[in-house]
Amino acid sequence: MNILLVILFILFPPEDKIKIKDAWMRPSSENMATALYFIIENNGSKADTLFQVDCNFAGKVEIHETYSQGDMMGMRKVDFIIIDGKSSFEFKPGGYHVMLMKLKKDINDGDEENFVLHLKQAGEIVITATAKKPE
Amino acid sequence: MKKLILITLSVTLLLSLSCKDNLPLDKDLTKKSYTLINQDSVEVIFPENIIGHITVMGFIYTHCPDICPMTTHNMYLVQKQLNEEGIDNVKFIAISFDPDRDTPEVLTKFAEIRDLDFNSWTFLTGQKNTVDEMMKRFDVKAIKTDERIDEEGNPEYSMMHTDRISLIDEHGILRKNYKGSTLNFEELINDIKTLQD
Repeated sequence: MNILLVILFILFPPEDKIKIKDAWMRPSSENMATALYFIIENNGSKADTLFQVDCNFAGKVEIHETYSQGDMMGMRKVDFIIIDGKSSFEFKPGGYHVMLMKLKKDINDGDEENFVLHLKQAGEIVITATAKKPE
Repeated sequence: MKKLILITLSVTLLLSLSCKDNLPLDKDLTKKSYTLINQDSVEVIFPENIIGHITVMGFIYTHCPDICPMTTHNMYLVQKQLNEEGIDNVKFIAISFDPDRDTPEVLTKFAEIRDLDFNSWTFLTGQKNTVDEMMKRFDVKAIKTDERIDEEGNPEYSMMHTDRISLIDEHGILRKNYKGSTLNFEELINDIKTLQD
């Protein structure tokens, strides 16, 4: 029975319920801030919640949203993001982003860095983001 | 023949009025000067430093992770497009409304990491009261938000601010304002070309 399950697993590997796509960040310099952007795809039927992001090269990491008020723009911390089942959520310039503060080093164009995303259902997911200038 | 000349003059007048409609502001910035410092800590008198050049000016603070980098990048893309079209005499200025943190050294690093060319770009900061006065002149607002003290006892804050790029003509006249982070590139580039004509 166990062998059959292993064969089935090899032939039909379960699809990841949470997929992270197109992770990138802006170049920035030591002691400054930057933003991480990506798309979370939730292929499962149940909602999941992103509540924390970590990395080892920023003094502080927070989930933020950019908002407008008249012709002014600001940003504020949000505690979590809910990604409904069978849907995706995009962190993008001018919208939601992961703010990386007090950078411990320069982030140059082309640099790659790892992040750990903490989700209530999926647990910890490690992603790699590339620093680049947007198009 | 007289009729033809009259028609030509009318069309020229209409075209000229239509171009002016695209540049609705007429604020003479030369009526007041501001002593600022650039990224090299060199004193700069604004707007004397921009007279003779069409100037694209962005209002930013460098601790901003999202909107201000978008504004700066949009200015860079405008410069790139202009250069591709053979227009290389436009000046780009980014002025910080957060002079307490945006020292010349910080501004230099902000520019260098983005490969911005100091031949056409100038970053400005200055005494807080001077910068505040200048922001009022441009009707740019910047308010500290989420003020807190970090673990090391240093002040930490974000800023809510006007999202702005301005176009200034070669005489120091403010001609138009644009949204900085969601800039309409075609509009600004066409307006620069109108000023050049």
